[in-house]
Order: sequence, then structure tokens, then C-alpha cells
Amino acid sequence: MDLQSVNHIENAAPKAQRHTVQFSGDAASYFSLWAVNILFTILTLGIYSAWATVRNKQYFYGHTSIDGHRFDYLATPIQILKGRILAAMCFTFYIVSSSYFPLIAALFLFIWMFAVPWVINQGLRFNLRMTRYRNVQFSFAGNYKDAFINFIVLPFLSIFTLYLAMPWVLKRIDTYIHNNIFYGDKKLTVQLTTSEYFRIAFACLFTVVGVAIVIGVFTVVLGSIDDLAQQPQLLGGIIVLFNFLMITVVAGMYQAMIRNHIFNNAQFEQVARFESNLATVDYVVLVFTNALAIVCSLGLALPWAKVRKAKMLAAATSVCVYPSAEHVINVQLESQSSFAEEAANVFDIDISLT
Amino acid sequence: MKTTGRLYHAHSNTFIYCELSLSDECVVFSNDEGLHERLPKPRLVLGMAIKGQAQDITLPDGRRFLCDDKTFRLNQHSTSSFIERSEQHKGLVIGAIFFCPLLLYWLFFIAIPHVAASSAGHLPQSVIETIGQQSMTLIEKAALEPTQLDEQKVANAERIWLELINQLQLNEQKYRLGFYQSEFFGANAFALPHGQIVVTDDLILKLADYDDAFRAVLLHEIGHVEHRHSVKIAAQTAGTTVALAIVFGDLQGIVDLALGVGTAIMQQQFSQGMERQADDYALSNLLKLGYKPEHFATALEIISQGTDDDSQSWSKYLSTHPHVKSRIEKARTYKHP
Repeated sequence: MDLQSVNHIENAAPKAQRHTVQFSGDAASYFSLWAVNILFTILTLGIYSAWATVRNKQYFYGHTSIDGHRFDYLATPIQILKGRILAAMCFTFYIVSSSYFPLIAALFLFIWMFAVPWVINQGLRFNLRMTRYRNVQFSFAGNYKDAFINFIVLPFLSIFTLYLAMPWVLKRIDTYIHNNIFYGDKKLTVQLTTSEYFRIAFACLFTVVGVAIVIGVFTVVLGSIDDLAQQPQLLGGIIVLFNFLMITVVAGMYQAMIRNHIFNNAQFEQVARFESNLATVDYVVLVFTNALAIVCSLGLALPWAKVRKAKMLAAATSVCVYPSAEHVINVQLESQSSFAEEAANVFDIDISLT
Repeated sequence: MKTTGRLYHAHSNTFIYCELSLSDECVVFSNDEGLHERLPKPRLVLGMAIKGQAQDITLPDGRRFLCDDKTFRLNQHSTSSFIERSEQHKGLVIGAIFFCPLLLYWLFFIAIPHVAASSAGHLPQSVIETIGQQSMTLIEKAALEPTQLDEQKVANAERIWLELINQLQLNEQKYRLGFYQSEFFGANAFALPHGQIVVTDDLILKLADYDDAFRAVLLHEIGHVEHRHSVKIAAQTAGTTVALAIVFGDLQGIVDLALGVGTAIMQQQFSQGMERQADDYALSNLLKLGYKPEHFATALEIISQGTDDDSQSWSKYLSTHPHVKSRIEKARTYKHP
């Protein structure tokens, strides 16, 4: 490790420096990027979607910075395209078989269950490897066995506890994901607590019950209006909309609280620790108004909504960087030179349609 | 041209500030502390050009230069810069807002149904046989029970069926009629792609005194098989779903909701067209074989009458067979085309 260059660059203070994450994107420039990319995607019958994905991601990565250094998304469109084609083939096979050969589709679903942990790992590995900050890439070190236990076995077993153990399972999943993240050669360590997950789960549950009561009362009031009562379809539509909005609200609530918990208990030893003070109410209002705007604008408000969300998340997040952060070295590039890694690159793709 | 920026060391978190000077062929990195490096442009790897972000330069040894100027582009004529300009082109943006919905409409309502219909027409009979048998196994397990009709009623229905098959000169091996008791389907008849036609006990009972009407219903179902409707609808669904996933793979959440509704509407339209086609098949053949198209109207009337007293089971039939009134009207006034 080049220690001299450390001193050379900054007269590093012994104390950690606190930086708020910055997001510099704006709705107008993102809107035009988004719209033109969709046009190209449709005109090329979906093929351009690989290029569109890379450009959309780089827009957000490149506009996000900590301490004046931006993030980069490194995947090439061809890698994305390969993953897309594979995913599309699996998906097509499933859709065709489920509408034509239901028995084969059932078998396929069973086999798929065993492939899911691998696919999840593959996606995490790929996306983290393709994320760069300064000149160092992230990586993911999870293995199949742990993924299978956390994503398949435990959620299945929690059914027998009537989902009462689900918050604990979610904690296990988040711990598995985050404890396997590396920045260069430095491992991320998270200390998540089961009690916090249960607290958050119950807060969400009570909100659901509360909102359900409000909706119930509202429906009764609406139902008493003659015009509406004679149009059951309209009433049904209103109920569907309410359900949709409720899911949005509760999901936002859960995300905000869990995010704070994870960030506030995560650190790269000797490199950086994180803080997130996302206000639950603010975030829920944002998610709610975003959803409303997107629905009312028939999707046109999507870029605005995404930029707005990125801004709020960035502003709520800060990173305390320790002076020894300069010691991080990139392990990705070194191992990439080996032949075995090159061969493995055939499957260096994110198998997903998103 | 000179500009300032940061030069990150290879594989590392560290960097130095430096200056970049450009000439036609080369770039020169230099700073006050003795750095002076000249590199030919073709050896540099350029990053993406995105609005509001400097284009980064990767050196052959893995070092990386990031300019302080957010508008920095090393090569204004690269593909990446061209894409960036398109993305900020006002005309294209407005065009996108205008053309995207039109193109999507064309893709999902014209192109995919067309391709689905023609590809379904080319499926070999052996494949259709497998499709039909697998679906039948599943439906039998899920929603059908052995018939509880007395033998006389079954024999009568079978007589009408065989007579009809002979008159139409259809293959007796391919076309099979099955009788089942089913609470799920209520009074209903449906056809599977390989020629299996299923009638429920409730339907037979309902049409017990109307042999002609029963014949018309059978003709309608045969129409579905002859036109390969279920294969087409499956191809259409598969095509639409895959296309939606590929085109909209990037957008999440809310779009799913909109897509769900959209697919449902599309299928509804597709199946309404198919009902019309099966009706036409039934009506023209009734006329051809010397029966009256009115019999089909009778069948529809008897079936839709049930709506009032037994709405549960009847509504299922009606939901896939909409506009009963107009169909009855059509059967009444049907003349040979």
C-alpha cells in the first residue's frame, strides 16, 4: 500500500470527516434523457433497453457524490443485454408453458425455486461490482447455501409461525446482504437488532389497521351517497385505489425506518460509517405524492418522482470518513486479470429484466 | 485547451490534482509536483457522456482522470456524445411523448395480436394435442366432477353431438364431448384446443327440452376449436406479457398496476372478437345444415334468463360472453352472408 501518497494528498486530520451525500441531478434533464431512451427502446423493440438501463443508472450514480467524489456505474450495455436475453428466455419459457403446458410450468417453478438464491447472489454480485467510488469497486461475497437458507428456507418456515417470525427473517436477509458487501478489500459490518425489526413491523401493522378503519368509515359514508351506490364499479375502483395507496404508505414507512436502522449500524471498519436520519413522515408523504403524481400524469411524472426521491434520500444520508480510508485498494481489478475470472465472465451478468 | 481535475491512482482510493492539456493527437497530464505525462488519445478509454457529468478518462494503466468541469467532453464527435445530444434534443423529447403511446398501441393492439394469431395457426396438431391434454388434466383435477345425469339425458346429448359431427364431416377421433358436474363453471360449455368439448350437467338440464338450442351451443364451441381460439389467446397473452416485461422492465411498482389493467382490457377485447367469430361459425353452419339461426338466440336467452335467480353461476358465463342482447339480436336477424 502506498502510504506516502496518503500524506501527499491530504494532511489527513485524525478525526473522521462527516459528509452529507449530494445529489446534483434535476428533473428537467432527467426527464428528457428518460423520454428519449424509452422512445429508442420501443423503436428497437426492446433491444436498446440495455443501453437505456446503463444510461439511466449512470445518471443517478454519477450525480450522487460524497466529499466531491462521484459514483460510477460500470456495466456495459452488452453485459446487460446478455442478462436480459437470458432472463427473457426463462420468462418466455415460463409464460408460454404456463399458458400452454401447465404441468411443465409447475415443474419449472419447482426447479426455479432452487435457482432463485443463485440468481439473487448473481444480481447482488454484479451490481456491486459495477459500482465504483473513486477508483475502487464494491463487491459481494455471499454464497449459495446462506442465500438458500435466508431467501427460501426461513421465509417458508415462517409460514408455520403464522408469519410471526417474519421480522426476524427479514433481519436475517438484510444482515446476509449487507454483511457480505465489500468496498475494495474492506468488509461492511452491520449490527442489526431483532427487537428493532419487530418494533418496525408492529408500527406498520398498526398503521395498516388504522388506515383500514379510516377507509372503512369512508366507504360507508360514500356508500350512503345514492349516486355512488348505484355505481358499484366506481365504488370498487375507489376501494382498489385506496388499497394501492395504503400499500404505498406502509411500504414507504417500512423502508424509511429499516433504512435508518441499517445505515446507522453499518460501517466499513476503519474506513467509514454511515448515518441516515430519514424522517418517516416526510418519506411517506414523498412516496405517496410521487405515486399520485405518476398515476395522474399517466407515467410522465416518473422522472420527476425519481429525482425527488433521490434528493431526499441523499440529503438524509451522511458518511463519516476516517483518515485511513485512503488505504482501501481495489481487489476487483487485480483478480480480473486471471484467466479463470475471464471464463467466469461469461456469466458475469445480472439475470433480471429490471 | 487546458483544464483541471483529479487523477485517481490505479486500483486505489487516492488521487492527485492535476492539469490536462489537449492537443489534436495527445493529452498531457501535469502538475506542480513533477507530473508530466503525454498519452496518445487512442489509448484512452472514455466514459459515458451524461448531462451534468464530466466524461471520465481511464488511462491504460488503470488510473482515471475526472475533470472538474462538468461539461467536459474529450471527443465531441463520439457516439456517446451523439446519444447525449439526442437525449437533450427538444424535438426528440416532444416526439417521444407523442409517439411512445402511439407505438405502444400499435405494438400491443396490432402487431402482437397479429403475430400471435398467425403463429398459433402454424402450430402442428401434435403440439396442440399435448397442450389440450395437459390443460384438461389440470381443469379436471381442479373444477370437474363425474357427471350425475341419468343415462337417457347423456345418450340424447351424445346423439345430437354425433349427428352434428357427421353432418359437418369432422374427425370423430379429434372431436370429443365430455359430461361433467361442476360447481365452479355452473351452466357452461367450453372447448379445449385439441377438440375436447366439455358441457356441464347444469347446462344439459337447462337445455333439456331444447335440442336445437343445445346443438347451437355445440356449434359455437366447435367454432372456437376450428378457429384455434384458445391457442391464439394464449399466444397473445404470452407475447404481450413478455413484451411488456422487456419494454417496461425499467419502470417498477406503479406501472405493474397499470399493466395489469391494460392486459385485462386487451384480453377482454381479444376474447370478444373471438366470441363473435364463434357465433358466426355457429350461425352460418346452422343455416347450412338446414337449422335455424334463431336456435342460437334461444340458447342465449335460456342461459341468460338464469341471471336473476342464480346469479352466482350464470355471471361467470356472461362475463366471458358479453353483450348477450346484441348477440341474440344478431342470431335473430342472421341471413346467409
